This record gives sequence, structure tokens and C-alpha cells, in this order.
Amino acid sequence: MTNNIKPALETPRQKQNRHKAMEAVKVLNAIKKEFKEPPKAMNYFYDLFEKVYCKQEALHTNKVKIGTMCIQIPSEIIYALDAVPLRLCNGFYTDDEIGSDLMPSKSCPLVKATVGHLASENFSDKPDIIFSPTTCDQKTKAGAIVQNFGYEVIDVDFPRTKESEESREYWRRSVRKFSSDMSKNLNKKLTKKNLKASIQKIGYAQTLYHKLNDFRKNRLVPILGKDMFLITNAFFFDKIDNWIAAVEELIEEVEQRAANQIHAGGKISPRIVYTGSPPIFPNYKIPLIVEQSDAIIVADETCSSNRMFNDRVSVDEWFLNDMIDSIADKYLKGCTCPIFTKNDDRIRRIVDLVRSYGADGVVYQAFAGCQVYEMEQRSVLAAMEKEGIAILYVESDYSPSQQGQLTTRVEAFVESLKNRRRMKK
Amino acid sequence: MKYFVGIDIGSTAIKITVTDEHKRLVGFKINASGSMFYKYAKETLQSLLDELHIGQDEIAYTVATGYGRKLFKEADENISEITANAIGAQEAAREYGEIKTIINIGGQDSKAISLDSEGNVVNFAMNDRCAAGTGKFLDVVAMNLEIGVDELSDYHFKSTGTPLSISSTCAVFAESEIIGLLGSNHSVEDIVSGVHYSIAKRIVKLVKRVGIKENVYFDGGPALNAGLVHAIENELGKKVFVPEYPQITTSFGAAVLACDAFTSMSEVEREF
Amino acid sequence: MMKNKIKNIINNMPLNKVRFWIQLVMFILFAYGGYVFIDFGSSIPIFACPYNRETGATCYFMPLQHQLAMPANVLFGAAAISVFIGLLTFIAWFVVLNKAWCGYACPFGTLQDWITALRKKLGIRYSTYSQPQFDKLSKIKYIFLAIVIMIPLLMGIGVLGGEWSGAFCQICPARIISPMFVGDFSQWKIDFSSVAAMILTTIGVLFAAVFFVGSFIKKRFFCFFCPMSALHYTMSDLSLLKLRKDGDKCTKCGDCYKVCDMQIKDIADDVTSTNILRDDCMFCMKCVAACPEDDALHVDILNMRVFSSTKEGFAKRMGMSHLEKNNDQ
Repeated sequence: MTNNIKPALETPRQKQNRHKAMEAVKVLNAIKKEFKEPPKAMNYFYDLFEKVYCKQEALHTNKVKIGTMCIQIPSEIIYALDAVPLRLCNGFYTDDEIGSDLMPSKSCPLVKATVGHLASENFSDKPDIIFSPTTCDQKTKAGAIVQNFGYEVIDVDFPRTKESEESREYWRRSVRKFSSDMSKNLNKKLTKKNLKASIQKIGYAQTLYHKLNDFRKNRLVPILGKDMFLITNAFFFDKIDNWIAAVEELIEEVEQRAANQIHAGGKISPRIVYTGSPPIFPNYKIPLIVEQSDAIIVADETCSSNRMFNDRVSVDEWFLNDMIDSIADKYLKGCTCPIFTKNDDRIRRIVDLVRSYGADGVVYQAFAGCQVYEMEQRSVLAAMEKEGIAILYVESDYSPSQQGQLTTRVEAFVESLKNRRRMKK
Repeated sequence: MKYFVGIDIGSTAIKITVTDEHKRLVGFKINASGSMFYKYAKETLQSLLDELHIGQDEIAYTVATGYGRKLFKEADENISEITANAIGAQEAAREYGEIKTIINIGGQDSKAISLDSEGNVVNFAMNDRCAAGTGKFLDVVAMNLEIGVDELSDYHFKSTGTPLSISSTCAVFAESEIIGLLGSNHSVEDIVSGVHYSIAKRIVKLVKRVGIKENVYFDGGPALNAGLVHAIENELGKKVFVPEYPQITTSFGAAVLACDAFTSMSEVEREF
Repeated sequence: MMKNKIKNIINNMPLNKVRFWIQLVMFILFAYGGYVFIDFGSSIPIFACPYNRETGATCYFMPLQHQLAMPANVLFGAAAISVFIGLLTFIAWFVVLNKAWCGYACPFGTLQDWITALRKKLGIRYSTYSQPQFDKLSKIKYIFLAIVIMIPLLMGIGVLGGEWSGAFCQICPARIISPMFVGDFSQWKIDFSSVAAMILTTIGVLFAAVFFVGSFIKKRFFCFFCPMSALHYTMSDLSLLKLRKDGDKCTKCGDCYKVCDMQIKDIADDVTSTNILRDDCMFCMKCVAACPEDDALHVDILNMRVFSSTKEGFAKRMGMSHLEKNNDQ
């Protein structure tokens, strides 16, 4: 009986990293190679994701890292205090599987993946402290689960209505408290100067995003949705200055591509507005299927992308309190998250995106277990029908199976859009 | 001298093992099962006996197992391949330790078997879908990559990048996925290790259904592939034991059972 | 091409600066126009108060109160034509600029903005009303408007005596403060000639004092109570200048509400009205400048867009169109 001499057994950590690297590399390969040639400046982002997710390289070694459980934690304040925000929303199936043992099986894969990731304590950049806004039920409860793993988790109260003056005041108070909690924790003072600089820097990043997005309104689209998702996703964790420089470069190139009439899609690729549960790397399953089925995602309405960049802060008098209140308003009033009681705003936003980006249809994707998106599906479908906008609702999770079925559904939808167009002509 | 024969008539191959009364392996032979199970089984047995210079009369007891076991009418007894596999594994690993979990990857299916401390089968699971993650699948992969099946292991250990996983559960789709990867200039090494890890992941999922208890025994032809063994060990997070001849564990188990059955019989019974 | 260029320049303009200079010019015109014999007449829809002897025009409330106090037979007889012409002139002036008279031309409004600027220089934060306070206080201007109109009418029919003449002017802080522009502090006094005069002038002096304190802590403190603003609102539909909103483009982010000196909530939350001008509005257009969406808010002359919210213009005004290089990162 022989036993070959083999390398030592992987540690659980190595195994998790390998699993994640395998997931990451697969998606990156698809993004890089299965489409028309992407802009060269995209290489920065391809390399970034490879560094972070395939090689587990740390990006922020000398700064305090603030983990955020949801989009509502104001990055402006974190950057002003010279710390870095790390959005913990996670797209890895590997982590989802770990989280499945810690949460009910029918929970949202994003939350499970976040919890699983935190449970594994396997980070290239580990958050020093976590702020958890009480947005949806699952995230709210996840905060407490995560705390049991030994992380310092601070809840940030978030209201579930946004129309009333009371909720505005409530949330402003929460953000003020968040600022002072942060100040205390980091032992640094928020000043007029550093906060203003931070608001303007993030505002600038948002401006860049808007500029880039404008090219997607063109009839010939110079950049595909899969690349846009990667760019916005990078904002979760990248060094902001590097991100800004990379996007500046990309804009120049995309401008050139637009001038040269370069089209990233096919001859009659239908234009899609993507909405629903956020695609977070490497869970780009549906966006990739959409674009592999000869459609182009020209705009999105998700919290990992558009919603993160859309609304910029306006300040009337650049005083500390005024700035903090303005920041608070941005994160509450402009938010189209389905957790809110009523959500006509989201419908209006989708309709506006369809109109201004000249889209042929909407793909609405909900995670199985993401209750709020699942619940809102009917009202959105009804509203789109009323507006005469074609919409496809798909439910999916992080598992690598179901690919075939999903592809068939999406392809059928895309083909129907093409037909619609032909009929019009 | 008395000899005992175990015949495993599988879907792709006929495996015949002969042991002596001390349950020691005397010899074995593997042949493709082809279209006529019974005829080939008889021929294979005959040629094995000829090689070993054993006369028909020296064979005390014969046990048949496997998919085609009922076709071999000369057998004194036949048992399911699950039981045979369990018995064979325990006998083969006698010096190594107590076996509680068996992973078997065959030509067209894969199994996970869980044993209790007495060696009885308490639970087992089979891949209920198709050829993906079986020996056949590895053949197809090797063919697509234009390398030999026996070279897969070397390629696996030479891989330096991230293994490129295959997500299709279907062997046919997986094949096109591999061709796609090759088309976009990925290294064969990374593809091979990716295939191994994909199979390993699927197998480990199967094993998890019956529960993972140490020690873990791994047999079936693909167990000869050290790269696959490595991948399975990493996915399990545990070392696995691979016998010297992993292909014949089941027929070996049948022979061991033949031996046991014979010794437990009274003199009178043996006359029949 | 040219048209687009001009459009871009306007949409990207630093509104606050532009507005500051317009206000300064207007202030000089209306507070000191008298020195160079400028006179825009007596039907101007702003507080260009004639108690300031050098004013370049006269607040319409002055002649209006005077005219309404005439006996009914005179008002509807011999004087009717001049009253009517006065009103028409007022409307004519108003139609051109709508409430932008408040935000850009009213010297009294400008004064408040300067007091605000002073506060900002001192690094003191403004305060706001809570929503319930806002709802209550916002009605006061209609009470004042009633005083402007009712008291003279009551005088005309003989219910009130001559001592009530120009009653609103007596309590209006502009009467006391405007003359100060030309160094005349003589209005800071209480008139003891009659009980009515005493009461009215006392209120006036107190109001003037409160004005300074109020507008120091609250932006455009007085405009909230201004009866001229109320009168404007009754006619704002006639105006050529429109403040419009495209609700489909609005994300309700609240940026406009945040910068609104008058705390008008509808500007952010109402996504169905196209005409978004509200009674408290002073048409300063800060909301348009602070709107980060293309064309969600816009100022039109009839149906021609003259100033639109744009993403680019927003970025320019907020310092988000380029990276400040002096950051320590």
C-alpha cells in the first residue's frame, strides 16, 4: 500500500481562499475574454480584483478600517477622519455556504455571505470596527450575529419611512451620533476643513461616475455593464485616490472610443436597465448572462452601483453641522431601497432610467430570500406594464447551478425585445 | 490450497480478484465488460486462473457483485457492491486503521458510504445525476486536453495559478466549458487542477450527505490519480487513505466475503 | 452650437456670486437711486421704502393703502382710473420677474442676506423652524396682508379714524430700517400723537429690533412674514417667469430643500406639480443651482428654459468638478 508524497493539507483558511480565488478568476475571465475588447483602462480594475480576491493582498495597511454593513453609512465622515470604509456586502458563494450554517437556510445569500465571511475571520483587510445600519431585517439581525464572533459592532438607527419630517430628524440624529462615535473611536476631530474636503472628494468621484454613465446614453455604447459593475464595486474597498485616477483615465479612453464610434454590443443588442438585488463581485451571474445573451446593460438601479453614486451632497453653508445634516439627507431621502414602506420613488427612478438611457426593457433580479425585493416585484411589474416597458423578473441565488435555466429565460427575453424592435421599424 | 474469487461486474469493466484462505490477494484482472457480461466474465476468470496456475477445483467459493452480478450464474452467492466495497475497504486498510467513510469513484457513478464501528454500512449516497465527476469524465477531460489520463496528476501538481473551476454538472456541457477555457489561452495545468477541484467539491458534497468520519478510504480507478486525491483531501480538510490497487476494492471485498462465508460453513454444508 | 454654449455658461454659473452682484446693483438702485434722480415710480412690488428719502422707487403698499383709504365714492369714482393704473403697473412690474423681485431686487431682502453673510463670517450656524412651527408662522403674512388692505378700507367707510393712516407702514420694520441706509435714524421712535399711532409705532420699533436679531439667526427671517410676498403669490400664475419641476427626474434627494432659505419642503417632496413656486418662495433659484439632476428643476420664461439644473453645473458650484489638490492625502 503506497501513499504518494503530496503537499501538506490546506488549512481551512487556504481552502476558503482557494475557493474564492476559483470563483473570482472564473468571473474575471468571463468579463475579460468573453466580450468584445474592453477599454484598456479597465485593466486597472481587473488587476485590482485579482490582487484582492485571488491573491488576498491587503490594500489598507496603515489606516483604520471601518466595516459598513450597508450603503447608508456615510463614507464622507469616515474619509474625513482619515479612516477607510470597507463595505462588507459580499458576493461569494464560498462565504454564502459558510453563512448558511449560521443563518436560516432561506435567508438572503448576500447577508449569509457577509456573515459567513465575518465568521471565517479571513480578510485581506480586516475591519477594525463595524457599523451596522438597521436597514432590512436580515442585515439588522446579522449585526448581532456578527457581534458574537467578537467584532465590535455599532448599530446605526435607520428609519423605515422617508417621507415624514420625523424620520428625517431621526436619521439626522443617528448620523450625528455616528459622527461622534467615530470621532471618539478614532480619537480624531471632525473639522469643517476635513469634512468639506471629504464631501468634495466623494462628490468628485460621483461626478466622474455620472460622466462615465453619460456615454452609456449614446446609441453606440462604448462600455458594457459588466465593466461598470466592476468599477462601482471597486469603490467598496479600493483606495479612493487610486480609484479616482483610474476612472479619470478610463473616461478619457471611453470618450475616445465614443468619438471613434466603438460599440461594445452587437448590431441590434437590446438596451437593458438592470434593477433589484445588488450584483456584488463575483456574483455577476445575471448581468453576465444578460450581456452574453447579446443585450447591453445601459443603466442600473441597484445599491451596489447607481444608488451609491447617484445623489450628491449639497451644502448651503459649509459648517460642520450643516454638512452632517446634508450628508444625512442624501443617505435617506435619495435612497430607493425597497425596505421603505412605500417606494414610488424607485419606480419613478426605473422609468426615468429607461427613458433617458433609451432602454428596451428592464431586468429585475431578486435574490431568493431577499424578501423586500421579492415583495416589491409585483408593484414594479404592474407599474412597468402600465408604462409599456418590458420587464423580466428573475430570482436567483449565489449557487453556480441553475445557469442553464437562467440563460434560457434571459435569452428568450432578449429575443423578444429584439422582435419588439423589429416590429416597430 | 483453497482459493476464493470475487467478481465485480461493473458497467465499464469486469474486475476479478482471487485471494487465499488468509484473505491475502493472490491476483486480479480487469477487463472491459463490453456487451456480453457473462461471456467476458467467464473468459476473464479463466485467463486469470491460468495465469495463476490455479485449477477450477481449487476454488472454494465465488461471490459476484456489481451491476451485472446476477448474470454470473456460477457464483455461490452475490452481494451488492456497497457491501462488497465496505468489506474490501476494511480488509485493505486493516493495517492503516478503522475505516468509517468510503469514497468510491467508478467509471460512471460515484458513491459515498458511511460505516459504523462494526463495519456495517449505515448510510450511503450516490451521485444521482450523470457522468460528471466520474472516471468517464476524467477520460473526456484528458482527451480534450490531448493528454493521457495518467498524466493528469503531473499536470495538477504543476499548476501555479488559481484552479479554473468548471461549473457545469453535465459532462457534455463541461466538455464545451473546457474547450472554451483552452480557447482563451489558459494553462492546461490550471484547467486540470480546476477539473480535479470541481470533481472534489462535488464528491465532498456527496460525502457530507452521509457524514464525514475518519478514517476516509478512497477507491475506484480515479483514486490512482494523485492530483485528484490531493484535491479531495483539500476539499475534505482531511487525509484520505488510498489502497495500493484502488480499482479492485469491490471485487476484493467480494473475495473476502467468499472466504468468510466458506469458513463459517460446516463441513456438511461445504459438500453441496 | 452658439445657443448651447450660452446655455452651458448660464447653467454652470456660480449662482451665488451672480446673485450677489445683481442684488448689490439693485440695492444701490433702490436705496440710493434718488441721489441721481432715478425713480421707478410708486408701484414697485418690493419694499423700496419711501421713508428713505433717496429711494429709487416706492413700495406699492404706500399708494395702495392711501388709495384704499379713500371714501368709497372717490375710490370707485374719480380716483378709480388712477387706482386701476397703479394696480396695472404693479402687475406689469410683477409679471416680468415674478417673485424674483424678492430674491434679487428687494433691498430689504438683500439686507437680510448681508446679515446672513455677516453671521457666516462669524462662523455661527443658522437655525431653522420645525415643520409645525413653519406651518403656523407661514400664515402670518396673510394676516399682514389683511392689515394692508382692510384697515384702509375701514377708514374709507369711516369706521377707523385718520390716525390709522398707513397702518401697515407704521408697523413695518422697513420704515424704520430703510432710512438708515442714508444715515437717517429718525424713525427709531414711538409716536405718541394718538393711541393708535403709539401702538403701531411701538410694534414697528419692536419689529425692527426683532428683525436684526431674527435675520441674524434665521435666513430671510422677515420674508416669512412679508405681506408683499403673500400678494405676489396671489398673482404668480400671471407671471412670465416660472419655477418648474420635472418630477420624473427628481430623486427626492432633498438637496434643494437643504439650501432653501425659506424651508419649502415641496420643492423636494412634491413630484407631481410642474409649477413648484410656493407662497414663501422668493425665487432666489438656489434650489435650481443645488439640484444635481439634469433638468429636474428649471426656470422658464413662458416655455423657454433660461436656467436649468444640470449635473455639471451642480458639480461646478459644489466644488465637485475637480479634485482640490491641497488635500493632505
